[in-house]
Amino acid sequence: MNLLKNWRILLLVVALLFICVVVFVNFGHDDKGYLEGTNVKLGLDFEGGTLYQIELQEAVSVEEINRIAVIISQRVDPSGLKDASITPIGNQFIVIQISETNPAELEKIESRIRQQGKFESNLNGEIVFTGDQIKKVLRGDNSYGVRKQGDTTFEWSLPFVLNEDAINSFTEKTFHQCSATSFTPDGKPIYDCEKTIFFLDKPDALIVISEDQYALDEEAMFIGNRLLNIPQQTEIEEIIEDSQLNVIVYDGSLDVNALVGIQTQKAIVSSDIGNEVVVVLEDNGFEVTKVEAVDKPWLWDVINAQQVISLSESITNEDVADIAHAQQFSTLRISGQREDVETALNDLDELAILLESGSLPTPVKTISKETISPSLGESFKSLVILMGIIAFIVVGIVVAIRYRMAKLVIPIFIIGGSEVLLNLGFMVLIQRPLDLAAFAGLLAAIGTGVDSEIVITDELLGKSKKIKESLIKRAKAALFIIMTSAFTMIAVMLPIIFTARSYPGIDKLYGFAVVAIVGALIGVFITRPAFTKIMEIIVGKIEKKER
Amino acid sequence: MLVPAILLIPMLFLIFVVPGISPGIDLTGGNVIIVRSQQELTEGGILSALQGFDLPELRISTITSPTGYGAWIQYSKNPLINEAEEVIAQAEANLENEIESISLSKQVISLLGGEDAEYDNAKLALLDAQDILASYKEGFSTSLQTALTDELGLGADVEFQKREISPTLGEASLQGIINISIIGFILIIIVIFIAFRQVVPSAAIIQAMIFDVVAGLAGMALLNIPLSLTTLPALLMLVGYSVDTDIMLTSRMLKERSGTPGERATTSMKTGLTMTGTTLAALVAMILISYFYQIEVIYHISAILFFGLIGDVIATWLMNAPILLWFVEKKK
Repeated sequence: MNLLKNWRILLLVVALLFICVVVFVNFGHDDKGYLEGTNVKLGLDFEGGTLYQIELQEAVSVEEINRIAVIISQRVDPSGLKDASITPIGNQFIVIQISETNPAELEKIESRIRQQGKFESNLNGEIVFTGDQIKKVLRGDNSYGVRKQGDTTFEWSLPFVLNEDAINSFTEKTFHQCSATSFTPDGKPIYDCEKTIFFLDKPDALIVISEDQYALDEEAMFIGNRLLNIPQQTEIEEIIEDSQLNVIVYDGSLDVNALVGIQTQKAIVSSDIGNEVVVVLEDNGFEVTKVEAVDKPWLWDVINAQQVISLSESITNEDVADIAHAQQFSTLRISGQREDVETALNDLDELAILLESGSLPTPVKTISKETISPSLGESFKSLVILMGIIAFIVVGIVVAIRYRMAKLVIPIFIIGGSEVLLNLGFMVLIQRPLDLAAFAGLLAAIGTGVDSEIVITDELLGKSKKIKESLIKRAKAALFIIMTSAFTMIAVMLPIIFTARSYPGIDKLYGFAVVAIVGALIGVFITRPAFTKIMEIIVGKIEKKER
Repeated sequence: MLVPAILLIPMLFLIFVVPGISPGIDLTGGNVIIVRSQQELTEGGILSALQGFDLPELRISTITSPTGYGAWIQYSKNPLINEAEEVIAQAEANLENEIESISLSKQVISLLGGEDAEYDNAKLALLDAQDILASYKEGFSTSLQTALTDELGLGADVEFQKREISPTLGEASLQGIINISIIGFILIIIVIFIAFRQVVPSAAIIQAMIFDVVAGLAGMALLNIPLSLTTLPALLMLVGYSVDTDIMLTSRMLKERSGTPGERATTSMKTGLTMTGTTLAALVAMILISYFYQIEVIYHISAILFFGLIGDVIATWLMNAPILLWFVEKKK
């Protein structure tokens, strides 16, 4: 216990205990995506998945590229199930990581990234306007933004401009879509208006939903869902009508005649419907996809409904009798109210992106991608662990041959192991996944570590016993060497850290550089001081014996 | 001093003349598929499976290891897809000019065998062109995968790695690599000068470092390892590593007073060779495992480090040490 009185050794022990908690105590996640039994996240190389590198037609502002990244993320992973991570790199590149590896699926995602999103706003089962008819969202306009109204109400407002065709269609289709239901005390009418529903990339498919699912959805929509922008008392029939899709509610029997005349060849079926139905559909020429219900209304999810927006009497020309005299609005304004600024801003942002997502502000030039299959990742993982163990043993053998004294070899081993652990712990702390590059960085760190430990050991053992330098003086000489060597490692790795967010591809090296640098710092400030102290004690004892 | 100088010539020859170092697809663009299988994979088999796909610059190599078989397939983009993508990009960039954009989109549609149609809206034409290209690519990619799967006898549980890099992306990455190398090199020189504050020893370390990098590059040329986003970190790691022994040697030669300079150099060499020895031993293990199991990233990194560190043994003890000995003697 005397050892713990030295602060260097105490520091190492405390750091190790802390990191053990960080690495090994499970804070409530399942093992998927983590190195078994630890909190170390696994990267693409070990988990399998795909990395897209998207290049835009031209460099854009930081604000713009962030916006494009959000739009693309909605296209890539609308339901949020694929665990996609999206990072803008520099002013022209966007990197996406996704767990998908099936080549056909990947091509689909790629084309979705490239394509213009198909936005439509529907009312009474008709299209009112589409994404390519939206000329512009007036982000610079005075009326764009969030305004405080009273103490607890914040109104957001989003103005946008339609083209000629859309203006005509809008005037016609919204004409008299509000009706007075009651009157205020001073005689003004209170209106109840129709709702328009927004879709983004609505599927061209037959929808077959089970009775049970339908009932669940009906209830869920009526209750409403703030996060999904479903207002209270939304009628499922209205959503179905506006979607213009063929929706069959399956009650245990499927009428084949109902399938006649359906234009599309695709069918989306809720997953609780038996395969006998799938067979019937396939026999009738449908390509069937089963979709599972997640924690949102199934129907809302599969038809890609995005928003329900209520019309207001100010634009439905209630005061005009003849449509020929109806006032036309080229600039429309959508607004809503929230209790706090943040949610209001959030709503505004989401909707603006939705309206703009018909087209990316700057088109995509090229898409590069890299896929690693999960089975290969799995075997990479076991190989890398094997490699680490073998490397450790081999290094141990060389060190043992050189020093032939267990007293000297064992500390080198223990400190080497501590450095691996501390590094892994740091990666857990900064939430960085372990990939092959990071593994290489780990090796670099350990390699420098072992090098330094050899320097310290040799320095302390004393090269010339005739001139008695004090152990502390010798330790100082060793410190200079390990400091300089650590800082050279940091010097070559720093440029990677600084440019990782500016150049595509370099971001893949970020983990590598971080681990190498942090490894060097951990070595200089935590493990090697402790190692020096331990060695001082051991060498001191050896020298005493020799005397 | 003579040995490193003489060695430099064949190394430079390897790097710049034959076989030379080629840039990898990370930097030039292209496609690579790496497959691992329990079934035997032959070049001929793969080649015949890929017939009819029109893959320019197709290169195939196979490997047999004690635990299975592997194949490495590289090719450039199918010319038709390439052309279609370029035209679509133009159509998209020219959306303002309706007529021009529509005609470009229609060009793509006919190129890929789609049905001819009339458009009055450039965006709609573009959407159709994009749709048709997407399904063409989807079909191409799926059938390529199927052909390979059938030929290579790969089940559902295929162990594969696939990379598709566009040339322009490669260019941007290359620019990044160049910047990193230059900044890194400057920073390391600064660190060394700050540490030693004397021109000759610092310069000696830097020239040893350059020699190491040259040795690493020569190893790349010998083993046909391309310059890529993987080999850049390997070279940086090499620099970070190899200076360790030089720093140790220089520090002991300049800062310590015990024993003669010759004695100090000898004890330093003992320490230095242990340092490099441990690393080399670990690297050999890694090279063997990663080569046979086709872990390209680790194989490239460990092979480059291996050659670089061999170079470092030469540079440190046959070049740097004599320079320092001369420098210390002269100072007396």
